Amino acid sequence: MNSRQDKQTDKERAGRLTASAELSTLNEKYYRDLASAKVEGRPVVWLTSLAPIEIVYAFDSIPFFPENYAALCSSRKVASELCQAAESRGYSQDLCAYARCMFGSIFEKRGAFGDQGPPSPDVLLATEGACTTHIKWWEALQRHFKCPLVIIDVAYTVDSESLAAHHKAYLAAQLREMTLLMEKHTGRKLDMAKLREVISLADRASLLWDEIDDLRKAVPTPVSQIDVFTCLFPLVTLRGMPEAVDFYEELRDEVKERVNKGIGFVPDERFRLIWDLFPIYHNMKLLNYFAEFGAAFVTDLYGNAFSGRLNPSDPFGSLAERYLSFFNRSASWGKAEMYKKRVRDYSVDGIVFHSNRSCRFCTAYQREVGHILKEELGLPSLMFEADMVDPRGFDAVDVKDRIQSFIEMLEARKYPKIEKMQ
Amino acid sequence: MISSEFYESYRNRHQLAEGWKRRGRKLVGYFCSLTPEELIYAAGFIPVRIRGTAENISLADAHLPSFCCSYMRGALDQALKGWYGYLDGMVFPKTCDMTRDLYSIWKRNLPLPYYWFLPLPGRGTDEAVEFTVHELGLFRESLEDFSENRIEDESLDRAIRIYNQNRSLVREVYELGKRESPPLTGSDVFAVEIAGLVMPKEEHSAMVRNLLSGLPEGSNSGRSGPRLMVTGNNFESIELLETIEDCGGRIVINDLDTGSRYYGAGVAEDREPMRAIAERYLREVRCPCKHPAESRLERILGLAQSYRVKGVVMVVQKYCDTHLYDRPWIESRLREEGLPVLSIEHSDTGWTSGRFRTMAQAFIEMLE
Repeated sequence: MNSRQDKQTDKERAGRLTASAELSTLNEKYYRDLASAKVEGRPVVWLTSLAPIEIVYAFDSIPFFPENYAALCSSRKVASELCQAAESRGYSQDLCAYARCMFGSIFEKRGAFGDQGPPSPDVLLATEGACTTHIKWWEALQRHFKCPLVIIDVAYTVDSESLAAHHKAYLAAQLREMTLLMEKHTGRKLDMAKLREVISLADRASLLWDEIDDLRKAVPTPVSQIDVFTCLFPLVTLRGMPEAVDFYEELRDEVKERVNKGIGFVPDERFRLIWDLFPIYHNMKLLNYFAEFGAAFVTDLYGNAFSGRLNPSDPFGSLAERYLSFFNRSASWGKAEMYKKRVRDYSVDGIVFHSNRSCRFCTAYQREVGHILKEELGLPSLMFEADMVDPRGFDAVDVKDRIQSFIEMLEARKYPKIEKMQ
Repeated sequence: MISSEFYESYRNRHQLAEGWKRRGRKLVGYFCSLTPEELIYAAGFIPVRIRGTAENISLADAHLPSFCCSYMRGALDQALKGWYGYLDGMVFPKTCDMTRDLYSIWKRNLPLPYYWFLPLPGRGTDEAVEFTVHELGLFRESLEDFSENRIEDESLDRAIRIYNQNRSLVREVYELGKRESPPLTGSDVFAVEIAGLVMPKEEHSAMVRNLLSGLPEGSNSGRSGPRLMVTGNNFESIELLETIEDCGGRIVINDLDTGSRYYGAGVAEDREPMRAIAERYLREVRCPCKHPAESRLERILGLAQSYRVKGVVMVVQKYCDTHLYDRPWIESRLREEGLPVLSIEHSDTGWTSGRFRTMAQAFIEMLE
């Protein structure tokens, strides 16, 4: 049977979530706040993903994530020219495209909206919690902006057993050091009550996110992967703000209602897949190409990287724990365990690896995880190369061909009888 | 080549290692200049640096994407092909992002009795030293468990002395580079350096002593040509340096991961050994994985000045993120200091090609 015959039209699919419309409002408000920060006298902090944004908000500073911004540039189709601008200044084309895109924006004074780009940082905040690349990138930003740079070292752990008390103590001590540096660089005192409030709200948003993630177990799965990726914005950027909690409450209710009514993103859901790991911002619609064959993405680890429970009565200790437990800090077998659990809990038929040229750290483990899932669960996988931000060199036709072959293989595995009958 | 004995030892490193193994020694492989080898040595093992070559990579492709550095891919490929069959264990320190991924790939595919991952901080603060002292304690215990022997403080002190002696002997070799016409070429020095990565330190030290005492007082090679420094990370092929020197360049000093960064300052002998080791590895080894980057630049500029270099060859492995972020800045700072830079991004192949020779020639002619 030809999978093409299963092709569904866009009309038949459940539409975008109503709650996701609220996103543009939140987005616009955030960028307005960012643009007026200098006038309002709010310090602008450029931070790496997985840096303690909670502390930034506790200082009533405004956080800016260059990574999100580069993703925005990519979806607005200005990333390749910005990347090239960085390359012409000596930055290798093999470096992370988030970084290249942001360097290009700074050098060219060009932003995602045809403007001059984001306001310059008053403080740069980088953590090694995700990757060493972040530190190198922020050092380069510091040389450019000549503003204070705060570095938080998150000593790497390979598995949860090796995560001992001294790791937590070392990180918690640096978070306290960070607050002293923030006091110095922003001229503001840390308000502990405010920090506890931010942490409590961040915890609440995380809990809601986890609930939504749990709801994706339903068959058919209620939301598209595109919605999941785009709805991450408040969890990442507004983490600790009340509007993020309001947004996720609304979103959770909507998703729950879909589940109760049996509404699926793909109405006739035939295959349930995992997406690993980064979105392809310049070609998000590739995710929906899978839906044309009745395949839906039902879970991922990417979103959960930005969730994580916190305890307002132990701000620094619980922040340290959260930032140490980022899933990508475990060895390949640890990641495979996380996926194995998800394969069972979400009734998964296969996994798709986006081998992201921008991130060696997040691609180097993929083959191993694929081998483990194949050996232990017989889980089929598809791997293709792309870049999350930089569209140059991406061959959508070839990738679509490979997706189609992958689906045909899944078809033969999952529905062998139907194949015989035809 | 004056140092051909060293180069032969390096080229025969696997046979030499197998010989030690037959004589009952245990060998522990390690990555990177940030592994505190003193502890491995004190536990009675021979530490062996893992090297890699980009030639004929085949088996590694099933485990790593093509857009990873040829060092990591080459090292894994050779291990999968059984070249490191004599190893009893492996140690991976936290340096770059790739090392941590490689740890789990290596461990799952190459079962060995001993594996250790050492989470080293990226900063050199007092808190980072405290953390590292704690981690070194765990590392020490794991080595004790594996060797079924306690590592006494006296053995550790002895290991520190042996390593320090070796470092200071190699630094005597570097000192020769300050002469008007150094008696050893950059390729000679490279051979001395890489041989020391793969053999017991006392043997290497004996060879270096021999080399130094064999050189006549105040000897000079009589060679002229622009004085150069090579900076960067990691490459396997001595041909890179030989080609530059064939073209008339004189390499008088390096800032390489397998060179002067490895053989830099020793471990303080007048302090509590574990703390002294922690301080040395966090603060003295100026790899770009360590923050702040300025201290690495200062080191490079300091070497350029004291060795009176006229130009710098910057050799960076393709896909090496940490070096590639620093490169535009270091290049421009060197140029500001009046030092022309030949910048090479490589996959550790093609050093004897006409293309590379032409680049090297043009650079050297420009300096002359």
